[in-house]
Amino acid sequence: MSAPAIDADSLLAFMKKRRVCRSFTDAPVDDDLLWKIAQAGRWATSAGNRHLHKFVIVRDPAKIKLIRAMSPGMLTEPPVLIVIATDEERAASEQVQIELDDSTWIDVGTAAMNMSLMASAIGLGSCPVTSFSQSGVSEVLGFPQSLKPEYILILGWPKPVERFASSTAPKAITARDLTFWETPGNHER
Amino acid sequence: MAEQLVLTEREALDIIAFLVASAEISTYEPTYYGSFRLVDAASRLMAHMQKHDLPLTGEFIAELKAHIDEKKTMMMFDRPAWVEFLKGNPALVASELKRVAEVEE
Repeated sequence: MSAPAIDADSLLAFMKKRRVCRSFTDAPVDDDLLWKIAQAGRWATSAGNRHLHKFVIVRDPAKIKLIRAMSPGMLTEPPVLIVIATDEERAASEQVQIELDDSTWIDVGTAAMNMSLMASAIGLGSCPVTSFSQSGVSEVLGFPQSLKPEYILILGWPKPVERFASSTAPKAITARDLTFWETPGNHER
Repeated sequence: MAEQLVLTEREALDIIAFLVASAEISTYEPTYYGSFRLVDAASRLMAHMQKHDLPLTGEFIAELKAHIDEKKTMMMFDRPAWVEFLKGNPALVASELKRVAEVEE
């Protein structure tokens, strides 16, 4: 067995610590760091190694303001964001039936998760935004008809905020709650 | 109420964009997200208003916005508390409406 590339317990602890961030400082994010995040998206799993998605990095505050106006799920104005978009032209050339093939969506998720983890590793805060008008965001960014925005990852240096504590919030879902061993409903190993 | 503008055309357009985008995504989002969008729209409207002079309602607007912003993400993790929060807001605004009406009389 080859030596592990990264300590598994450290990785799990790191994953457990990651949280969405909706409050950012005004400090700019260096392009080299954004490039690292884009590369993390590239190295996510991709069905059939097809890579049907494009990552559009937006740093222009004026554009970000307009994107936010079309994105009810964007609760704050970030210093930078990345739009993950499906390249439908490429999908067609790969004979992928977008409307029928869910793997396209799954690949958006794997790229997004890799990017979020890389952002955390850098020390950046990030938050996914899926509640936005696709037509509105496409118009703001001048997307061609064949490029469909699917997911927005907002990024920035986190601003410390006091978390609102709720006394009536239900118990947090655990990994055990989500995991069955062999048979649906069986949580025991 | 003082006859003065509390939104520029651009700010109003920003709110319109938010509302029409919310209407579109409300066709497929969970129904309870609708209440969140409306409360968030109120917060965004107040954020724009606060860029202007608000001699009559400034204090109230600041308090209500802070109250909403503190609690609006509760919808994601504590639905019963979210509903209670929603129930409390109209009375706050009604009280301010009454106060403003009295000032204007």
